[in-house]
Amino acid sequence: MVDYSNREELIAALTEDLTPVKRVKPRDGALLIAFAAVIASVASIAVYEWWSGLLTGQASGYFLITHGLLLVLGIASTAAVVSSVQPQVGARGSAPYWGAAMLAALPIGAVLSLLSGEGNHAHEGLNDPVAFMCTTASLSAALLVGIAGVLWLRRGAPVSIERSSWLLGLAAGSLGTLAYGITCPLDTFSHVGLWHVAPVAIATVVSRFVVPPLIRW
Amino acid sequence: MTATQNGDKAAGNVLLSEVGLWLERYFRRRVPPHSIDDLVQDVLIAFYTKRGTWDSTRPFLPWLAAIARYRWVDHLRKVYKHDSKELMEDDAAEDSAEEVVLARVSLDRLFGQLPDKQSKVIEMVKIDGLSIREAAEKTGQSESLVKVNIHRGLKKLASLVEKAD
Repeated sequence: MVDYSNREELIAALTEDLTPVKRVKPRDGALLIAFAAVIASVASIAVYEWWSGLLTGQASGYFLITHGLLLVLGIASTAAVVSSVQPQVGARGSAPYWGAAMLAALPIGAVLSLLSGEGNHAHEGLNDPVAFMCTTASLSAALLVGIAGVLWLRRGAPVSIERSSWLLGLAAGSLGTLAYGITCPLDTFSHVGLWHVAPVAIATVVSRFVVPPLIRW
Repeated sequence: MTATQNGDKAAGNVLLSEVGLWLERYFRRRVPPHSIDDLVQDVLIAFYTKRGTWDSTRPFLPWLAAIARYRWVDHLRKVYKHDSKELMEDDAAEDSAEEVVLARVSLDRLFGQLPDKQSKVIEMVKIDGLSIREAAEKTGQSESLVKVNIHRGLKKLASLVEKAD
């Protein structure tokens, strides 16, 4: 940017360059993030195959509840993050945080359930052989959603960088985990309650530290 | 603003001038006088580049105020980083009188939210221009504690400003 010696010169130069501008609409951001989530789902199905049990009634209630909560959290946090590109002052909705709190009840329940089980159930639950795969695959899908979110935030003018970063982490983590989750045939409470929620927490924390420098303007 | 978004140069010129005046008033009570014009120009450029983010169904001034506040906080953040580095390098005393960073930044209200030991040393070193040693002697705190309290206090001030809507 050229350095102007006074305000009048700057205003004259900006006026001279003034052209019609495309409005930044939250709906476009929501579509972009939804599109990224769909691509992540298709990629997960291509790599891990669709789990037919989801539609044949084989999936447990825990599986459906967990992924239903992920969907709700994904929608709530996406709505909040895409709106954050329009500067505004005043009260902000807290729906994503309540959604995250509800989701957090699952791992707590899963741990309590493992601890209250007989024998070495807790040990088995934490040593889930596919935990690593579920976590990394979910995070890979979350990365795709996160990139779409960052591109959107860079188009706009987020004025609360930390909040936008937290929200993007929640959106990417929940939608990414959901995108992978539909291919995972393991539907026990301990598995989905722990390993289909952990990626959301990881993505949120990572986003808080990685995203701010990418979206600062 | 709608006309400006549509590329109307005459409307844009009037709006930019009016926005400049509004920003000048906005920053008058928030930053030292010598920084006002730089910040106004900075926000005018931000206003211009981000004009597509204004939603015509919402009022204009809160949108502008949010941008102005963001650029102000960003300014504070840069100042804070610079200031913090100086403290860590142990040469704050020499530069403090010139910097007077947050001294004129509507501190009265913000100081009320800091612990006494922090606001007191910030005031002594960053506003009155005392050295770290002098502030330590006056408050009975060790020199390291004075530095830590200034560091923490400034960090908290920046965070208070950032969180306030």
